[in-house]
Amino acid sequence: MHPPDSEKPGLSRRGFLKGTGLSVAAVGLVKSATAAQEAPAAEVPTLSAAQTHEISFELNGQTTQAKVRTGHTLLETLRDQLDLTGTKLVCDQGSCGACTVHLDGKPVNSCLVFATDVAGRQITTIEGLAKNGNLHPVQAGFLHEDASQCGFCTPGMIMSCKALLDRNPSPTRDECKEAISGNICRCGTYFNIFRAVDHAATLMKGGR
Amino acid sequence: MKNFDYARPQDVQSAAAALGKAKGSRPKGGGTDLITLMKSGVLTPPLVVDLASIPGLSGVSRLETGHFRVGATTTIAEVAEHPELARVARVLTDAAATTATPLVRNRGTVGGNLCQRPRCWYFRNLDYVCSKKGGQTCYAAEGENKYHAIFENVTCNIVHPSNLAPALWALDATIHVAGPTGEKSIPVADFWVRPEEDISTENVLEAGEVITGVSFAPEGASTGSAYHEVREKQSYDWALVNAAVRLDFEGEVVKEARIVVSAVAPIPLRLEACEKILKGQKFSDALAEAAGKAASGGATPLRDNAYKVHLIEKCVKNTILDAARRAKVRSGEPR
Repeated sequence: MHPPDSEKPGLSRRGFLKGTGLSVAAVGLVKSATAAQEAPAAEVPTLSAAQTHEISFELNGQTTQAKVRTGHTLLETLRDQLDLTGTKLVCDQGSCGACTVHLDGKPVNSCLVFATDVAGRQITTIEGLAKNGNLHPVQAGFLHEDASQCGFCTPGMIMSCKALLDRNPSPTRDECKEAISGNICRCGTYFNIFRAVDHAATLMKGGR
Repeated sequence: MKNFDYARPQDVQSAAAALGKAKGSRPKGGGTDLITLMKSGVLTPPLVVDLASIPGLSGVSRLETGHFRVGATTTIAEVAEHPELARVARVLTDAAATTATPLVRNRGTVGGNLCQRPRCWYFRNLDYVCSKKGGQTCYAAEGENKYHAIFENVTCNIVHPSNLAPALWALDATIHVAGPTGEKSIPVADFWVRPEEDISTENVLEAGEVITGVSFAPEGASTGSAYHEVREKQSYDWALVNAAVRLDFEGEVVKEARIVVSAVAPIPLRLEACEKILKGQKFSDALAEAAGKAASGGATPLRDNAYKVHLIEKCVKNTILDAARRAKVRSGEPR
């Protein structure tokens, strides 16, 4: 479970207003709207459609800023603004999994996340897995088992497989199938991917 | 996607107030459905109100009455993986685990699942001004209707897309709603709106009203429940038909039965004809078969979806058998 946003540094209500560059005009709008109420509701922090908003979040371990509109997805922001093109755009509707990233440690479709929603949160992309030039065991497993053909699904597949191994160090074949059921490989490399996960599981337990 | 004003209220009352002010505004849970509708241009809300940022609206809790409450912004994954819910509401956790993909389940919420819009490809395509989008024609009636309704398909041929809806109905759950005029509780049975009543929506929520949670009684000591769906593709697909069943036993006899199906009509359907066949009878495989057969009564399939008539019979039968088996396991009887 995520803690309520209000408890997070950088995303308190005040911080949200400040951090997202909410204009005075927008605040005025909200105020006049609530003034019409018989019992005025609390002022609702609102990001304006007309403006760009600066968000701050942790991306692959680094505090990162981005300037986004409310209609921007996390996927667009990663690829087009932050130049992290490892995360792929394919279906853009949550059906294929090519855009899989981790949001606070959980795999999600970055095409179905508003960029403004990740303020104050942790994002891990495929670029964040290798450390000091060493591949993550899941990446090493994919290499070892030749688990890519065209390679377009691979970053998303790896992120889903990593999420599986993070919570289940010894997954069964069925658990592996379930874990990547949101990732489609058009080349049909699934059996190599299953073996790559087995290999990665061995590596993560210190085996070779 | 068009930009929009994005409100992140800290309580349900302000969310309801904000939604009630701007015409066409939309509440957002996980956004998995809303964002796709906005990308396709089918929805262009001037204001989106984020419910996920409201503290206390997510999570599973036990009420003083002994009932369980699941908050509206609880993710589908949390429901699917909740060990206590699996004990007291197996039909719900099974339905949740069957929903979409692990990726979508990590974002999608219970409230959003109940309110998601139909997957009809004519509705989702901006080029088809279908009756649900304010036009005059249901293109599915004469068009490509392989995945459309086989029941109650007079005005509009959509099928209801929610997996959790039939499961919650099998549990006789209550949907809790907050709106500009305060809070109210709606039995799941009364939550749905047929196209003939109002084609623009699938449920009774008015502008400014949002789901805050659902609640239900835990299954009793001689209850068994199950959810099954049939898909073209096992890994990730929409249900062709689904069934949610709860059976309360008294010894070998079915004391109470709840049989709800979905993906076959514009709203989830409770099949009382099937329930009647089971109620008061000593349970047997033949009884389940008979109830399954009755599930297709009154079907009016379209050109391409008569196969669903057969599927719903089998799906209901198998779900009944599964629920009965679980009731036996729970009450300690050998199979």
